[in-house]
Amino acid sequence: MKKYATFLWDCFRLSFVGDWRYHLWMTILTLVALFGLYAYCQQLVYGLVTTGMTDQVSWGLYIANFTYLVGLAAAAAMLVIPVYVYRNMHLHDVVIFGELLAVAVIIMCLLFVMADLGRPDRFMHLFWRFNFPISMLTWDVIALNGYLLLNLHICGYLVYCAYCGRRPSPLFYVPFVFIAIVWAISIHTVTAFLYVGLGGRPFWNSAIIAPRFLASAFAAGPAFIILTLQVVRGCTRHRVSNDALLTLRRIVQVAMIINLFLLACEVFTEFYTDSAHVESARYLYFGLQGHRALVPWIWSAVAMNLAATALLVLPASRGLRVLNVACVLSIVGIWIEKGMGLIVPAFVPTPLGEVVEYFPTSHEIAICLGIWAFGLLLYTIFVRISVPVLAGELTYEKRAAAPRVEAAPTREGNLAKE
Amino acid sequence: MRAVDSRLRESLHAYACGAVSWCAPSGLVACMSEQAAPSAIRRSRLSVCAALLICACSLAFNPLPFESPVSRPAAVPAWATDATAVRQPSLAPRYRAGVFTYGCNDCHKILPAGAGDTVRTVIQHREIVLEHGINTWCLSCHHPVNRNAFVDDRGGEIPWNQPQRLCAKCHGPVYRDWQHGSHGRTNGYWDTTRGEQTRRRCIECHDPHRPPFPSMRPAPGPNTLRMGRQHGRDRHEAHHPLRIGGPGGGAGPHGTGLGEE
Amino acid sequence: MAHSREDKHESAPHSGQAAPEVSRRGFLAQGTAALAGASAVAAALSPLRHLAPGDVPTVEEFFQKHYKEMTDEEKRQVFARIRQAAEKRFGVELDLADPPPMDGVEFVYGLNISRCIGCRRCVHACVEENNQSRAPEIQYIRVLQMEKGSINVETADHHYDPPLVPDADKYYMPVQCHQCAKPPCVKVCPVEATWQEPDGITVIDYDWCIGCRYCEAACPYWARRFNFAEPEIPQEELNPNTAYLSNRPRQKGVMEKCTYCLQRTRVGRMPACVEVCPTGSRKFGNVLDPESEVAYILQHKRVYVLKEDVGTIPRFFYYFDERGSRYREPITADGPGGDA
Repeated sequence: MKKYATFLWDCFRLSFVGDWRYHLWMTILTLVALFGLYAYCQQLVYGLVTTGMTDQVSWGLYIANFTYLVGLAAAAAMLVIPVYVYRNMHLHDVVIFGELLAVAVIIMCLLFVMADLGRPDRFMHLFWRFNFPISMLTWDVIALNGYLLLNLHICGYLVYCAYCGRRPSPLFYVPFVFIAIVWAISIHTVTAFLYVGLGGRPFWNSAIIAPRFLASAFAAGPAFIILTLQVVRGCTRHRVSNDALLTLRRIVQVAMIINLFLLACEVFTEFYTDSAHVESARYLYFGLQGHRALVPWIWSAVAMNLAATALLVLPASRGLRVLNVACVLSIVGIWIEKGMGLIVPAFVPTPLGEVVEYFPTSHEIAICLGIWAFGLLLYTIFVRISVPVLAGELTYEKRAAAPRVEAAPTREGNLAKE
Repeated sequence: MRAVDSRLRESLHAYACGAVSWCAPSGLVACMSEQAAPSAIRRSRLSVCAALLICACSLAFNPLPFESPVSRPAAVPAWATDATAVRQPSLAPRYRAGVFTYGCNDCHKILPAGAGDTVRTVIQHREIVLEHGINTWCLSCHHPVNRNAFVDDRGGEIPWNQPQRLCAKCHGPVYRDWQHGSHGRTNGYWDTTRGEQTRRRCIECHDPHRPPFPSMRPAPGPNTLRMGRQHGRDRHEAHHPLRIGGPGGGAGPHGTGLGEE
Repeated sequence: MAHSREDKHESAPHSGQAAPEVSRRGFLAQGTAALAGASAVAAALSPLRHLAPGDVPTVEEFFQKHYKEMTDEEKRQVFARIRQAAEKRFGVELDLADPPPMDGVEFVYGLNISRCIGCRRCVHACVEENNQSRAPEIQYIRVLQMEKGSINVETADHHYDPPLVPDADKYYMPVQCHQCAKPPCVKVCPVEATWQEPDGITVIDYDWCIGCRYCEAACPYWARRFNFAEPEIPQEELNPNTAYLSNRPRQKGVMEKCTYCLQRTRVGRMPACVEVCPTGSRKFGNVLDPESEVAYILQHKRVYVLKEDVGTIPRFFYYFDERGSRYREPITADGPGGDA
């Protein structure tokens, strides 16, 4: 117990230590997060009228970001499957970063949901009357929190064992890893089912939403991890092999192709049928009755996704520069099509045919940026802690031998080699 | 209660400051162990402090004020929620001429009654214009002898306070609906064991001489939060469902609507 | 991939022999940093000073149970508290009741689209009866001006404003909560804040709702409304005859909707919209009573429901009878088809 407390203490201290680039990054994130907190306090005072949401479009940027981030969290499993199921050892050393990303991202998801609630002080009501198994939101609550706990356990156990200098016992983490694989798929499926089960919203009431969610998640998630692994490689001493990046590239490649195929299926079904149910899709791609707010966004997203897929298919993307461009394109493109391009059009037109557009307000954007900043802050801290601990530089023994020693190197990116 | 709540509010400040200031210095103890604070660390720490202080100052001055998009509600005119019936007929055999009010039989007992079949132009009551379909004869409804009553199919009398029996002569299906409550407004109690239910009689909504229900002014439309520009739909936009008379529909924006204000 | 040269300054771990003066200076520096951080957080939280007293839940409000779990004594206390809060907020003495559902009653609504002229008096009568917010505007009933030949709401107009209604080329279809027999809103609520009562009315416990707006997304008839801001009701227009589950004054952050005026209908009266309709297009009653108006309508009239394919089984029926349209030509004996 004392060891565990010391471990937490050392982690806490370590997260404040770093070079000027680290401090700059963390300060910027802190400032953005504080600004988001300020905007959220205003939302608590005035109500959700500070956002751009209305009775007509009652879910907006918060739920859009939530949907996207659940996909990102699910994609952490995409690192785990090759290693534990297919014994692909290229990714073995970087699995932990995927798991840590999952923890940070799930916390962001929960924060987005809290920000969206009209009465967040009443979320305890979920414990007293829980409409399980009928309401899909209850499944989502269980799935997200369970996934958070699973990943916290796996990462915490591995890092703590490294801190204690002992080998982690497979019994305490391998079964959880396999559960996490299945659970990762299910969190995103459950989130998709939130939307799919609503008969009054024909834009969502389609079986293809869940597979599209998974395909786009497995494209955006590994793309994000490719980028963060390069940052880890540049800023810490942790070794990230190019093979790991190329394996991830392969995953993103296949997932993007599947995503584009599913997009084509959806577009064909909507526009070839040309029934009254196509109005939401028509609003998204072409505008409706002169309202065209989302049209430039979705076409940019389509262009970005196409460009990303093309780049990924080309051998040129084996080079990191092109790969990074493709990753950024796919991350942004999928964010647009899955966030704004999925949530908002289902509300336009309303079930009674009224067309009211949605424009996020500056408060809403500030809160979203604040939560993103906070999540990145958490992830940076996690990486900052886990790299030295896993490398064996910060352990309980070393600490116990020299009590006032700052055992971890205070400057990351110290030396290229040991 | 209010004092407690305001104290709670103020203590939010104190707790926020206290919690952070308790954690933060201890967290930075790590740096204490350095021998001498090199200038790089000092610079970095100073700039972090400066950034945080600037942030604190700017946030305290409300950099992103909230401007409420809620517009003042348009006053709803009183007639929009007025539940009185469309017409308030006297339901009595009265005729008003100028400032005088007569009973119908006051004059018609003296005046000779028309022979049953003759149709002649009225000299009095000329302000009443009869537009009742193919019913163009006053005595289809009014009793030829007793003008305080209406006439039924066999020439008998229908009392003045039973107009529905008169209308039922020709408007059978509507009368049947009215009897069962499907036509005409019902007020009061749906559960007649608990209270009284009132129904409107025919002429409380329909002018007997010009029965089509009058058009009226619509109450104000919706003006919901952030609804944006909403105008009437463009009639030529999509395919008009009926396609009468060619694309865009054949009818004008308003029909030659029957009725008056 | 560049590695900074600055690491020379902080390379090796020190053995931690800090001289007192360094630690004092270091302590001051860290203290300043901590203070800066604390003040930044406090400044970020500063908008909370504008919170109204009613926004922060009291201990009793926080632990208030779900309506279905409250004992009678607890309900009495809760109602007393609500009355007090309303008095403070509006200066009006509320008559807060809790009428139970009547036995053998299932409410059904009929709407005669042959007769509706789209005057919107029902909308405003409902607003007054049910204490809906005027700013931002909340209206449970939305009247659609429909194109003849189409039941597709995509071609409907919500914002018609001609000088006179009805427009001869249109028909009018008011939509409000249909109190569906298979309500999707009840299915999706994660905290069971909305449920269906035995008399068919779907109700909301405003003190239990967490404001996630899932029910609003789920409703196929766009019948549910959310309080994005604190509702504003002019004091002189507040209706004091209220019920816990229907028209008592609400707060921001919770859902609301038409409840068939259960504060009236559960004591036997007609809803406000029925009583104000000038053409008598609205019909309401107990469908389980074979002598009621609505039973007659369902038996004899051409009745349909909106969006039947969604499978919600609404308790709100539209019907039409013989007269359906506004004719342009007057009826004369020598018209077409006559014997002349």
